[in-house]
Amino acid sequence: MKSAIYLLSIAVLALGLYSFEVRQQNTQLEQTVQAQYTNALTNASEKLSTLQRSVSQSLLFQDQQALEAELDNIWRISNEFRSTISSLPLSREVANEWLRYVGNIGEEAKYASDNRDFEGWHDRMQVVNQNLQSLSDEWTVATSNFYQNDADLSQWTNVAEKETEQSPFKNVASNLKTYSETDFPLTASESDWLKKRDLQNLDDKEITKEQAIERLEILIPGIKDATYTVTKSKEDAPYPFYHIQFVKGSRIGYADITVKGGHILSFLSERPIQEQKGVSQQQVRDLTNEFLKRAGYNDVQIVEMRENHQAWHIALARVVGKDKAFVYPDGIQLKISKDSGELLGLNAMEYVQREEINEDQKVVPINWETFFRPGTHVEEEKLIYTENEAFQLRKCYEVIARFDSKQNETFRIVVDTENHDVLKVEYMP
Amino acid sequence: MVRSIFMSVILIFGTLAVVNPNQTFAFSGQVVERGAFGDDVIELQARLQYLGFYNGKIDGIFGYGTYWALRNFQEQYELDIDGIAGAKTKEQLVSVSEYHRDWVHEQIEKGNRFTHYGGVPLAEQTTGGAGSSESTDVQLPAKYTERDLQLMANAVYGEARGEPYEGQVAVAAVILNRLESPDFPNTISEIIFQPGAFTAVADGQIWLTPNERAREAVLDAMNGWDPTENALYYFNPETATSDWIWSRPQIKKIGEHIFCY
Repeated sequence: MKSAIYLLSIAVLALGLYSFEVRQQNTQLEQTVQAQYTNALTNASEKLSTLQRSVSQSLLFQDQQALEAELDNIWRISNEFRSTISSLPLSREVANEWLRYVGNIGEEAKYASDNRDFEGWHDRMQVVNQNLQSLSDEWTVATSNFYQNDADLSQWTNVAEKETEQSPFKNVASNLKTYSETDFPLTASESDWLKKRDLQNLDDKEITKEQAIERLEILIPGIKDATYTVTKSKEDAPYPFYHIQFVKGSRIGYADITVKGGHILSFLSERPIQEQKGVSQQQVRDLTNEFLKRAGYNDVQIVEMRENHQAWHIALARVVGKDKAFVYPDGIQLKISKDSGELLGLNAMEYVQREEINEDQKVVPINWETFFRPGTHVEEEKLIYTENEAFQLRKCYEVIARFDSKQNETFRIVVDTENHDVLKVEYMP
Repeated sequence: MVRSIFMSVILIFGTLAVVNPNQTFAFSGQVVERGAFGDDVIELQARLQYLGFYNGKIDGIFGYGTYWALRNFQEQYELDIDGIAGAKTKEQLVSVSEYHRDWVHEQIEKGNRFTHYGGVPLAEQTTGGAGSSESTDVQLPAKYTERDLQLMANAVYGEARGEPYEGQVAVAAVILNRLESPDFPNTISEIIFQPGAFTAVADGQIWLTPNERAREAVLDAMNGWDPTENALYYFNPETATSDWIWSRPQIKKIGEHIFCY
């Protein structure tokens, strides 16, 4: 009996010590997280004040050089504020509204600086300056509790879990929403994002789900007679489409086909893939071209082929005009298995919602020898259409340039054909 | 006598075949060109490096570095300069270089930093391993990195490993859609670790080791596939308690998840 009590006491003591240690560790962890959140909150508050001051200061200058420096500053601070605010456990709604509003300010600053639209900036920012001041004040009120002595992690947990209506950020969220709508009706990036839903403008004839399956089987004969489950997109979807899921042998996959016109948006099939390579790169190229012909994609060409463990990913782009320029935003992607050359995937959404092209954009020749430093060789040159930072589709030179060095470092450079702005520089490994 | 001469000849050729590695390990019958990946490319890079034409990393990815090196080799050996390793080019390459296949593959598997220059002892061309391979073993579109792939594969595996393949690609696509949307942070890491954004981050399942299927799903999303039709959010209707998420315009349901704007 004595021994049992003795052993039980030791067990209770050990359990007590263990739970004490666990509790202490949890407290330490909570304190660390709390400290990080407080640090992020302080940073966000400081950056918000700095941003508000910078916007205010930018209204002082008429001198272009001084204004440009301030605009660059605003763009930088807005990015930093976005990064800090996204590390705070705010509710989704509050975080999104902040990111959008401040992102808009940064985007406007970049646009004004790039396009030297200083008057436009002054006009738009009069109101934004006042609204930013009021947001800054509301933010200070909403966050004051987080600095008090009895502040603990549960305060943050509550913010993350509660609906915005019940959170201390209720007013901030509501004003952000209003100001976003009034101060920035539709910025370039938002309108670019909304373009993705342009398929709602399709006015082709509607097809039935049986016709959709038929169309799929013509394009992808390999899945003929599969077992299909077809559902229609939800009512809120901006454009209606059939979601076709199929099973055939070891193949399981899906395809989305628009109800209007029966355009295939995407198709993906999964099956076990053999290790050994059964088709060569040339055969993959031939299979790609055969498929394009069968599917009626007559105006696209291969831009890039990438081999990976199981499959080839092939990027294609629409080719337009007399100068055969590649329209990169109107792309198609294919996935072809390495073992048998079977088409495993097709993505044609961007191709279906094709861009409007301005073929009249001037093409001013560039002397690459003076454009690049000596020792840089231009190996390839072609014309493409791509978006600039203001999300406008521009005709550009795409150049593959190589340093004449031991490493043969290679770059892809995209230059606007009219104003010679450099839109992209990418290192090509 | 004739028999012993015959045996000697066989013995000599047999020995040569073992000693001379360039005859033991030669390319497969495939034509190798830009975009290719795998053992043939590893051999091509190693042989080009052996001759001093290629100074980059031997990683099995036929990029521009390999392309220019091959063209330079073709020029020097008066072959057709097309940057494609066809039969003639490979034959020439095999005849003038050596390839220590086992050693090269061992270095790659160990994640060692190494080179394969001719005339330098192999032991002097490796600088110890990191313990695990950090080498790039996939070809990604230029705007993404191997780190992005790893992070996203962790997120997809943690969030949707029980979902169909389409559902896994869909989760990866949502992350990439957020990258383009003005309402979200500007990097993949910030998007994944935005507090409250993903359940797998909150419950630690993001740290589970992802399987090949999750990586393949991310690879497909990075290459353009988006089964969600541009969704920014998803939720499980069985467990979602937020009124806000139910208020979002819904697009489609895949597996257990409803995808929405």
